[in-house]
Amino acid sequence: MQLSDRVTGLSLVALGGLAAYGGWRLPPFPGQEMGPEVFPMVVGISLALCGAMIAAGVGRSYEDEAEADLARISAEAEADGSTAASHHSKWWELRVLIPPALLLFYYFVVDRLGFLPTAAVIVLIASLALGARARLAIPLAICAPLVVNLIFLKLLRVPLPSGMLPLPWIGLP
Amino acid sequence: MSNLTQAFHLVLQTDVLLAILLASIYGLVVGSLPGLSATMAVALLVPITFYLSPIAAIATIISASAMAIFSGDIPGALLRIPGTPASAAYTDEAYAMTRKGQPELALGIGLWFSALGGIAGTLSLMLLAPPLADMALNFSTYENFWLAFLGLMCATLVARSSPVKAIASMLLGLLVSCIGIENPAGTPRFTFGVTDLFGGIEVIPALVGVFAVSEVMRAMMSAEPPKMPFRRFGSILKSQWTLTKQYVKPQVRGNIVGIIIGVLPGAGADMAAWVSYSMAKRFSKTPEKFGTGHPEGLIEAGASNNASLASGWVPALLFAIPGDTITAIAIGVLYMKGLNPGPTLFTEQASSMYALYIIFIIANIIMIPLGIIMIRVASRVLRAPRSAIMPVIVLMCAVGTFATGNNLFAVMTVAAFGVIGYVMERNGFPVAAMVLGIIMGTMVEQSLVTSLMKSDGSIIPFFNRPVAAVLAAMTIAALLWPVAAWGWRSMRVATR
Repeated sequence: MQLSDRVTGLSLVALGGLAAYGGWRLPPFPGQEMGPEVFPMVVGISLALCGAMIAAGVGRSYEDEAEADLARISAEAEADGSTAASHHSKWWELRVLIPPALLLFYYFVVDRLGFLPTAAVIVLIASLALGARARLAIPLAICAPLVVNLIFLKLLRVPLPSGMLPLPWIGLP
Repeated sequence: MSNLTQAFHLVLQTDVLLAILLASIYGLVVGSLPGLSATMAVALLVPITFYLSPIAAIATIISASAMAIFSGDIPGALLRIPGTPASAAYTDEAYAMTRKGQPELALGIGLWFSALGGIAGTLSLMLLAPPLADMALNFSTYENFWLAFLGLMCATLVARSSPVKAIASMLLGLLVSCIGIENPAGTPRFTFGVTDLFGGIEVIPALVGVFAVSEVMRAMMSAEPPKMPFRRFGSILKSQWTLTKQYVKPQVRGNIVGIIIGVLPGAGADMAAWVSYSMAKRFSKTPEKFGTGHPEGLIEAGASNNASLASGWVPALLFAIPGDTITAIAIGVLYMKGLNPGPTLFTEQASSMYALYIIFIIANIIMIPLGIIMIRVASRVLRAPRSAIMPVIVLMCAVGTFATGNNLFAVMTVAAFGVIGYVMERNGFPVAAMVLGIIMGTMVEQSLVTSLMKSDGSIIPFFNRPVAAVLAAMTIAALLWPVAAWGWRSMRVATR
């Protein structure tokens, strides 16, 4: 997901422009010259200006310096550990979307499925994706949701949806 | 004096003391795990503080952050992987010491000078805050506007990246804060008809997304760090007193630089450590020893990053302008707990402020025994595989943010900001500047629009009040500085 400065800069120009336009179209505050439109317009126009500067490559030299520093620190550390970057397929980069996808999964199913099963699926997938063996991932997927649920229910008094798996005998609703 | 006794009374409650102890242990563990930063530790705590008393909530944040900044040194010294970004500046130096067979010395320096730095930072908070509060009581919306704007500009000045990108990040944050109906006219703005957006983007889910989810996303792409070897340590505090006497100057300089950087909005512990380490090298009589396991730089930078932690609370408490990302989160908690930041906090809630100082001092004192225990068990704790920790963090992100408002939409916000944070970081946009924009957006807008309404659209009152004029000059200088520096640089390159 590393984009060129030109792409990020121009998308910021577009975003800033849209924000300023959206602000400009807002209804004014009755009886006042200034209202809710001022701030989005100021911010949007400045953002578009910044975007144009980024696309033009202004300030690039600062980044090179910081990157050189970081590279120096992390280069040897990475050289020690066997980097898994050797077998990059086209889809490998998409792994990065697993955590947000799991959160969306939670958003859509937690009320129907209940907290424990949803959380178990999340922990299982995340753990396997990070390279855990089933021997670790499965017990973790069973225990972690139970512990989290008990903490929230007993200590913080936040009931989580029980859905299809109510467990009244261990104190969960 | 009665305020002080009242403050002790507030702190010496069972729940507060227990909160300090548990948060300290939590901070030590999370800070020492590579890839989990102190900011993330604090962000994940926020949902829990929601259910604590105000003082206990602040106590958890203070203790967890102080411990996490110290314990980031542990994997840095033993594995050459900084546990938190704040330790990155001197990781090489600490690791060189371990290779020379002195890991206890490296970790001892980290611990001892962190605690001293933390106490120095607390003293600065105690001394600086009350007089500034007196001054701030006379500020009108014009001064508040410049102050908030100056705070935003400082955040972009000190970012270790292109200033243009930092300003763009900050503006993105301001744009996010425009969403919702919390604006001068109460008009729904950028809500696109989605009812969940009417209340605006909440700060806590955004923070958790940017600092925790994006961290887990990065873990998906990087290799598992190597395991820590089992190791026996000698006495950890043995030679620290000698070092304290030997390196008075670097230590004092580290504390002062840390305090100054902490007070600057948006610049936190990691910045303080980088600046102090390079200062130590520049002023040292033996700069050639740096990088070979020399204590001087470790002392200065270790003191500096912990000192910045406490002084970061000065602008946060007085003006609701966060000194670093941790106080940015703390401001959210202060509002949540009814301790609204502002100069009146020091007059009306003086006992709470004293309680805050006391907690800082307690946290920095118990850091020493708890830190020694942590160093001794580190090789056992740190063997927990990443594939067991990260999934639990994903779960905590979901449940924790849901719990703060019983609102599932927050989980969606977390996911969205995880992706935004990840993409920004990959492309060199500093996320801290965006967070600052989100937090301060409403305040900047309010002071700008109210001021403009008062002056009937004229901008003259922004400049003709004395304090406002000074603040305006500083802000414009901050704004022009990157431009001037860039021009000078390109001229130098051209003549070369």
